[in-house]
Amino acid sequence: MSIPVQTQTFPMLKKLRNIPKEEYYVPGHRTCAGCGPALQYKLVAKAAGPNTIFIGPTGCMYVANASYLCTPYTVPWIHSQITNGGAVASGIEAAYQVRIRKGKWQGELPNVIVMAGDGGSVDIGLQAMSAMLYRGHDALFICYDNEAYANTGIQTSPTTPFGGNTTFTPPGKLIPEGKRLFPKDPPQLVIGGHPAVKYVATASVAYPIDLMNKVRKALNVKGPTFLHIHAPCPKGWKFTESKTVEIARLAVQTGMWNLYEWVDGEYTYQFRPREYKPVGEYLKHQKRFAHLKEEHIAKMQAFVDAKLKTPGVPIKVPVPLPREQQLS
Amino acid sequence: MAKEMTLSGCAASAQAVKMAKVDVICSYPIRPYTAAMMELAKMVAEGELDAEFIHGEGEHAQLSVVYGASAAGARTFTGSSGVGVTYAMEVYSPISGARLPVQMMIADRALDPPGDFGSEHTDAMSCRDQGWIMGWAESPQEAFDNHLINYRIGEDPRVMLPQFVCQDGYFVSHIPGKVLIPDQAQVDEFLPPYNPGKHVLDPKQPVSHGPQIRPDQGAIMDLQRAEAFLEMPKVIEEAVGDFNRIFGRHYSPFVEEFLTDDAEIVFFIQGGHAATARYAVKHLRERGVKAGLVKLRFVRPFPTTQVAESLAKFKGVGVVETSTSYGGSMRGGNLLVEVRAALYDVPKRPLTTSFMAGLGGDAVTLKDFYWMAEILTNAVKAGRVGKTVYWAGLEQAVA
Repeated sequence: MSIPVQTQTFPMLKKLRNIPKEEYYVPGHRTCAGCGPALQYKLVAKAAGPNTIFIGPTGCMYVANASYLCTPYTVPWIHSQITNGGAVASGIEAAYQVRIRKGKWQGELPNVIVMAGDGGSVDIGLQAMSAMLYRGHDALFICYDNEAYANTGIQTSPTTPFGGNTTFTPPGKLIPEGKRLFPKDPPQLVIGGHPAVKYVATASVAYPIDLMNKVRKALNVKGPTFLHIHAPCPKGWKFTESKTVEIARLAVQTGMWNLYEWVDGEYTYQFRPREYKPVGEYLKHQKRFAHLKEEHIAKMQAFVDAKLKTPGVPIKVPVPLPREQQLS
Repeated sequence: MAKEMTLSGCAASAQAVKMAKVDVICSYPIRPYTAAMMELAKMVAEGELDAEFIHGEGEHAQLSVVYGASAAGARTFTGSSGVGVTYAMEVYSPISGARLPVQMMIADRALDPPGDFGSEHTDAMSCRDQGWIMGWAESPQEAFDNHLINYRIGEDPRVMLPQFVCQDGYFVSHIPGKVLIPDQAQVDEFLPPYNPGKHVLDPKQPVSHGPQIRPDQGAIMDLQRAEAFLEMPKVIEEAVGDFNRIFGRHYSPFVEEFLTDDAEIVFFIQGGHAATARYAVKHLRERGVKAGLVKLRFVRPFPTTQVAESLAKFKGVGVVETSTSYGGSMRGGNLLVEVRAALYDVPKRPLTTSFMAGLGGDAVTLKDFYWMAEILTNAVKAGRVGKTVYWAGLEQAVA
């Protein structure tokens, strides 16, 4: 006797006023004012609804949310080590597949969502993430990217941008730019080598409906999916707490962050600016880049220009050259 | 009908896991345990066992997968050997701390360096403080039985703890022996389906697992784990009693004695080398040496009372260590430390020493046991032990 496993199908959302009122990530947690990761968590939880299980690898969204035996989740949530979000999710998904099949649990297969930071995704968590995506589990892996190990005091991660001042990449006489490396590209890592994955998208807290619909599209897919969500961190990036959404929007407008969907090999783009602003427009609001000299900014602009020209991310308009007076 | 088969320890383990109707299995290859996973993979492929068989990307992942699966209500199985066991170290405490009755088979293998396929208990013994139940099997039959007994103990609502079910690599895992495979009905009578209780990860009754705590909230959780181990002897006695009744076996729950009635010296041992030790004891008896054997069935929980009661009867006890604890108080392994601690309050303590034997997976031969017996006999005559550790095969027999 084997009972077929049923899955959920979500309708897309059109307007902010139509989004569900119910919160599954409720107030009362201990994230910083203006926290980008907390904002995206709220949106993801809203989009996914009550039949959801979150896996929370160690990171800000563990430490600042699940503090002192209190958590803000009204759906099941489990801590995982920072190393193993993908593996724990694999176990949970497998348990539900077999329990439903054997008649030990009735209902639609829950959404299994890993909410991992950049470290828990593409640094120490990469092995477990890749294996979950490779094996074809019906689960969504989200990398909420605040571009550093923020909870431990802002140390560099593989997604910290070139030139970022972190406590492990402080600018100094010998190393004036701070971080010397360019960041890893999580969605391209996933797309490049995981044949079971049919849906990958990037999102940003500045575009909430787009973000929520991408969560729903990912959950509607049977099989593993991946979202890379840009989540500015006022504390780590050193900008005013009220500017989180503006900073996130500027990232898209300057090409520092690209919004796209990849559906079984086909790219589509969202909110692509008619004309990209120079990266300096994005950098100047963040003190983590305050030490950068013109040559560093030029290097970053060149990186962005090149990224916008890579196959799969075509641009229709010319990318402006770096301006000279970008950092005041 | 129960049937007799000739199986290696690994094959016996796989049969037991199948009869326990596990839901989720997570594999990763490393010798020698991997033979059990190969058997299980075949059973799943043939449709003989309805389980999710997940290819983990390493031992750390294996333990992580079963952590998630167990939290979501599944009965789980995984396993490893040697450096694989230590690679997964991060995840052992989260599993026992979450009170998830995951089961992990360990077929021992010496740790690196250098690469050594031999069996040595150090891989598992290094993990003994992680809040898991731990014990060794001497034979494929005992391996089969221990899997069922451990699921029953670990899943008991008074316990809810994970289990390391250990067998010596090669000596048990790869040497075939007679195994009585019971009826499924017997197994079902002994081992009820896993009831994850009300804390399972279930959207119908949302709970959070593993939020952060303050340091002052940590002690109470540690105490709860400690108390579960205090409760456990009762549960083990019940489980082993039921097992003996249902399957017609004669296991002693904690320590098993062999030819000890008038024994003056005994080997205190766990695992596969006990099989050789039994022969050695018989031969020693033929030569007039009053030797016996005491076999430990669980090292966690360590049966302090039972060990003390058993060993207090003898004049000399030789603890056969198959693992190391470099720089430890006994200068050898950890078992003698435990044995001496257990005997501390006994009014008339026997002489105790230890033998490093079987390290690196070296065979422990009859000759080695005779050599140990000579040291013990000399110690009893002299009324004292010369030192706390002797390396079998690497030094002369002088007490």
